Amino acid sequence: MRRTVLAWIAVISLGLACGALEGARRPRYGGTLRLALRAQVRNLDPSDLAVEPLEAAAKEKVVRQVFETLVRLDEAGRPQPQLAREWTHDEVKKQWLFLPRAGVEFHNGVPWSPAPGSLAYPDDVPLDQLLRELARPQNAITLRASDGTLLGTGPFRVAEFQPGKLVKLTAHESYWGGRAFLDAVEVRMARSYAEQALDLELGQVDVVELPVTGVRRARQRGDPVATSAPLEIVALVIDRTKPPTEAVREALALTLDRPAIQGVLLQRMGEPSAALLAQWLSGYAFAFPMDRDIAKARQLAAGAPLVPFRYDRTDPVLRPVAERIALDASEAGLRLAAGAGEGGVRLTTWRITSTEPREALIELGRFAGSAPPKRGTSYERERALLDGRFILPIAHLPACYALNSRVQGWIGAKWLPSDRWDLGSIWLAEAAR
Amino acid sequence: MTFRTKLLLITSLTVAGAVALATGAVSLWTRRTFEQLDRERRQALLRQFERELGARGAEVALGMERAAASATALRIANEAGRSNADLSLLVNDAQELAEKENLDFVEVLQPDLTILSSAHWPARFGYKNNWLIARPDWDEKQAFLTRVPLPEGTAVALMATRRVMAGDKGIILVGARRLDSSVLASLGSAPGMRALLWFSAQQVLDPEGALAQPGKLAGLAAAVERSGREESAVVDWGSDTRHSEAIQAMPLRRGGQLMGILMAGTMLDAQLRLQRSILLTGVLVSLGGILLGLLIGLWTTERVTRPVMGLAAGARAVAGGDWSTRVPVTSEDEIGELARSFNTMTAQLIEQRDRALQAERVAAWRELARRLAHELKNPLFPLQITVENLRKAYAQQRPEFDQIFAECTSTLLDEMANLRTIIGRFSDFAKMPVPQLAPTDLNDVVRGAMKLFDAQFQTEGRPKIECVMSLAREPLPIECDREQLGRALRNLVLNAMDAMPEGGQLSVRTARTGDVVCLEVADTGQGLTPEESARLFTPYYTSKRHGTGLGLAIVQSVVSDHHGHISVQSDPGSGACFSITLPAADSRQEPGE
Repeated sequence: MRRTVLAWIAVISLGLACGALEGARRPRYGGTLRLALRAQVRNLDPSDLAVEPLEAAAKEKVVRQVFETLVRLDEAGRPQPQLAREWTHDEVKKQWLFLPRAGVEFHNGVPWSPAPGSLAYPDDVPLDQLLRELARPQNAITLRASDGTLLGTGPFRVAEFQPGKLVKLTAHESYWGGRAFLDAVEVRMARSYAEQALDLELGQVDVVELPVTGVRRARQRGDPVATSAPLEIVALVIDRTKPPTEAVREALALTLDRPAIQGVLLQRMGEPSAALLAQWLSGYAFAFPMDRDIAKARQLAAGAPLVPFRYDRTDPVLRPVAERIALDASEAGLRLAAGAGEGGVRLTTWRITSTEPREALIELGRFAGSAPPKRGTSYERERALLDGRFILPIAHLPACYALNSRVQGWIGAKWLPSDRWDLGSIWLAEAAR
Repeated sequence: MTFRTKLLLITSLTVAGAVALATGAVSLWTRRTFEQLDRERRQALLRQFERELGARGAEVALGMERAAASATALRIANEAGRSNADLSLLVNDAQELAEKENLDFVEVLQPDLTILSSAHWPARFGYKNNWLIARPDWDEKQAFLTRVPLPEGTAVALMATRRVMAGDKGIILVGARRLDSSVLASLGSAPGMRALLWFSAQQVLDPEGALAQPGKLAGLAAAVERSGREESAVVDWGSDTRHSEAIQAMPLRRGGQLMGILMAGTMLDAQLRLQRSILLTGVLVSLGGILLGLLIGLWTTERVTRPVMGLAAGARAVAGGDWSTRVPVTSEDEIGELARSFNTMTAQLIEQRDRALQAERVAAWRELARRLAHELKNPLFPLQITVENLRKAYAQQRPEFDQIFAECTSTLLDEMANLRTIIGRFSDFAKMPVPQLAPTDLNDVVRGAMKLFDAQFQTEGRPKIECVMSLAREPLPIECDREQLGRALRNLVLNAMDAMPEGGQLSVRTARTGDVVCLEVADTGQGLTPEESARLFTPYYTSKRHGTGLGLAIVQSVVSDHHGHISVQSDPGSGACFSITLPAADSRQEPGE
């Protein structure tokens, strides 16, 4: 009898434990997700493009939680329906017709009901190009409210916005895709890596950005870490207004020890590359050689003057990379002087927002200071951008986040590799502390 | 400069000099004392720094001991010992060790000194640690000073090394703590003092960070580099001495190589203020001393010179003819004795003068009596003879009595007239009138007087006297009584003519010499003996047989009334020359002017 009782107790306890575990795994509603970013988003108007790359990337992430487009691009860069349910071609009128999704409401409850035939676009551009254009945030469907605020149809609406400091979003209760699990999202801006780490340590935020050099340590500590595909390029950009000579630029390129930089200083995160597009995006990045030739570099740099060298000295990733570049260059007799004079070389990063190679090259053209040719294959267009050695890629790095253990649903296939936020699918294991 | 001024000057200078000397001595002594104190304070600061350096070196060595014994070091040694060591696993380890042991610089090296991980220059992995190789004694247990290369230059640090073995392989740990402003701040120097660390002309630290104007110390640093020992200098940080700092510099060496220079400085502002204050006090005391000296000098001088001044005034009065002057005897010292002697002297002078006057009066009266007797005896004798002849003729009842009577009475009348003349002369001398001065040209007076003698000079049958007049061309203005001066000149001319009974040359000359005009009357007569020259102007003295002895006395009286002076120069047989000097009218100043 006694054995029987003990057996029942054990079975019941096991059942309760399994139930609790299952409960923890099941998405739950409620709570506020708190994020911290280095960037400062100054406005949330999707039609107003941010110039600064860090801000542009952050703004796109936030804006896409509030505003939606007719079409969205999936992780592979393929167009998918969003507010448009489907699209058809009108042979007679030579246009593409987009059919609106039913049941869509703006954040103030006003239904989105475009007039029939109003979602028509001429077919003088290829469909793929049209769809990609429509997927841009600046083509989001918006409504100007009576008080002047701009309203969207996304899973969250703006509750509070302090430009450059704070964004508070609350769940859109009648979202056509179903209410988000989270009640609210709070994005703190202008927080350095060190401040973000401290915020996470103190439990004041749930998600922080992580420099690639901090990933290993975070993992050693047991913090959940999420990384994207390499989306950020680290490169030396030559000032075209006062550039060093071509020989100096070539010498500099020949001194770069990309494998050492990526393999040691960048903690093997991302990939070393002499290409603008990462290997996973283009598939041909390996074709751009990364060979070092110090002897030749020394010949080319003979008698070269001091080359001004600028980089963000507070950036924990860029600083050691810059010091290694200067150290390697000095081996060839090339002196890179930090912060000396105008022009010269700048070590910087650029986060691409598009995962489509053609689009990404256009973005990187802005970064390189020249537009890619309109014709030719991606390789040829990229080759043209790299000609003249006005931009010297070093490595491609992923976006990295450290998470609080209560954040669920972030680390998953749908987050990779594009580093787009889908906050509507995130939930918290417990309510905010 | 008067005696009183001199005495005052000497007294004041003596007092002022003494006070200035005392002030200068105090000021100099104070300055030297302060400098000595400052030097000792700086030396103390340098010694304190050496002790601090030793303590920090011990800390670094202890920290490296702990680091070498840590699990991290063992893990690094194990990983580094692998043939395919993953440097990315080690790249942050140096930083971790540095944070744990609170070190500024940590490097993990392979035995061949290849850098595996660097806390302060992570980018240097894979490069050789060539700066440590340069030190032959790097593998010591004790901490030592060295220069650590950094991306932006070099830093001087206290370094220690340790070996960590994992099996037969191992690593070298290099750890250092930078010598920076915190070391200087920890010394906690006294107000007005500070310590500086010189590493290069551009890199000089003070307790608050990088020093402004590091170039000002270049000279001192160069001197220390040259001599290799402690040097000192005063550095001016601003335009005036308020921003001066006395600095003592000590080289920080390691194996003959200069790692840096420690400098201990004291701002001279407070010292200069104190010195200025002392100097100002000294100056004020000096001024007070000088003023006091002046007052004392004045009082002393007054006391000392008052009797002397009295004596001087008495002497002046005596010189002015007031022989009755007496000076008060106010003390029993030498000055009092002098005053008593002065009074005695004036008393004796008066007595002698009175005696001389009396003697002179007696002599004058005797002379007068003699002259009167002589003058009167001459006419009396013919009177007596005539009266006796008349009586004899009357007694003899001579027929020619009437004729004799007439002759005798005529003779009597003549002689009586002669007596009257003599008496008149004496009377005239006694009644010399007060001269009526009027502006006159001396030359005119001379010409007027000499014109009277023209007839006599040209009279035939008399011994020839040649008159030579040599008058000044310019007018010789004088204030004179023309009549009296003409009379005096005539007396001189008559006198000269009397001196030349055989004829000769009479010279009359006038001239101007400065503020006086001169009149000379010279003859070529028989001349005068020195005795005659000395007594010539004495009334009633004459060397002539028929003179009254009043002529030259009258001349002297006239000249004297005209504020002039008469003298004679003569040698027996070579004539005589009378010189009269009179003040020129245009140079005469009114009394009080």
